Amino acid sequence: MQNLLKILLRYSNFLVFIALEVAAFMLISLNSAYPRSSILSTANDFVAWQNAQISEVKGYFSLRSQNEQLALENAALRNQICSMDSAQNRELIHYEHAKVVQMTTDELHNYLTINRGSRDGIMRGQGIRNEDGVVGIVRTVGRNYSVVMPIINTQANLSCRFAKNDYLGTLKWDGKDHRFAQLTDVSSHMVVNTGDTIVTSGLSPVFPEGIPVGIVENSVLKEGDSYFTIRVRLHTNFKRLKYVEIVQNAHQQELEELQHGLD
Amino acid sequence: MDWTKQIGRYIIVMVLQVLLFNQLQLWGVCHPYIYILCLLMMPITLPHSVDMLIGAAVGIVMDVFCNSLGIHTAACILLMFIRPYLLGGILNDKDRLNEQITLQVLGMEAFLKYVVTLVLIHHLTVFMLAAWSLTHIGFVLAETLVSSLITILIIFGYNTLRDR
Repeated sequence: MQNLLKILLRYSNFLVFIALEVAAFMLISLNSAYPRSSILSTANDFVAWQNAQISEVKGYFSLRSQNEQLALENAALRNQICSMDSAQNRELIHYEHAKVVQMTTDELHNYLTINRGSRDGIMRGQGIRNEDGVVGIVRTVGRNYSVVMPIINTQANLSCRFAKNDYLGTLKWDGKDHRFAQLTDVSSHMVVNTGDTIVTSGLSPVFPEGIPVGIVENSVLKEGDSYFTIRVRLHTNFKRLKYVEIVQNAHQQELEELQHGLD
Repeated sequence: MDWTKQIGRYIIVMVLQVLLFNQLQLWGVCHPYIYILCLLMMPITLPHSVDMLIGAAVGIVMDVFCNSLGIHTAACILLMFIRPYLLGGILNDKDRLNEQITLQVLGMEAFLKYVVTLVLIHHLTVFMLAAWSLTHIGFVLAETLVSSLITILIIFGYNTLRDR
């Protein structure tokens, strides 16, 4: 017993080191890719508040282009009102606007923080878009802020389809360029042209059908491959993302429960 | 050890890190983590395990700001674990271990070895854990080299200015 104690004492530093590292790795694996905890992430009120202040200061440097963007958006919205179709699914979907207070675009696991949280009815799994197209999906919800996984995250998956013929594919990101993503699972018998429009499929309740995602930049079919490698130029400019809209589908919970029930 | 000074330095370094260096997104490969300056320059007077706990605390705070819970924690614990052994190896003289860790006290060669080794280890750990696979190894190495270079320059800059 005394010997054991002696050994433990002798290697106590090493044991403390191992214990601490094990704890750290448990944190990493618990949070792999996306923080689960709203306190220990940028959804934390203080951290997000601080980020909001920084983005406030940064905002002054881009006022002119922001104004132009807003003017364009206004115009687009006015057009939308004119041509609004009264399809019933419109009533189910409510858009909540939010400001991006912090965002990364140059890492493999990018994320952005928005200034809306559970207080504003935001829930994990809701879709985020802006006037150009799809942005991402809410992953962590704090009281006043939420963390969003954008499609430019190597862990993100988005079900899409070709606007021209409704052919399905899955959008992924390879971690290299925030302007381009990759469309996978498109089989070789499809005819893919440069410039084809890719939109959301509407298969999941996260996004309604037909939100623009991007256009085909180029497509490669290697010999012997049965699937295309398609490079998609994203409509959303993540470097200049300032305002986004949260897609709130009134039936999201019900649809997800049904789909999980099938698994 | 003068605690107020250590904590003051920690706060200043964290403010710089969060407000300035976390906002840098130069060339996609430049993410210098200058906050480890306060860990590197902390004199070795406390028990080794307490040192590692301080490393864990500094790391977890940084993780909250980076949404990378655990990654900086793991890297900082590793850094604090290696530190006394490395310094002992470089100095070959156990009596000098309790001195201030600055450019002036250690001398150019020893200080350079100390800072470069630890910054590289810390940055490599952070970027490897963030990538969590070997698919992006080229990118991770480029990121480590560029970011470490900036961090090392900042730490040297701080020491040179301080010694004047």
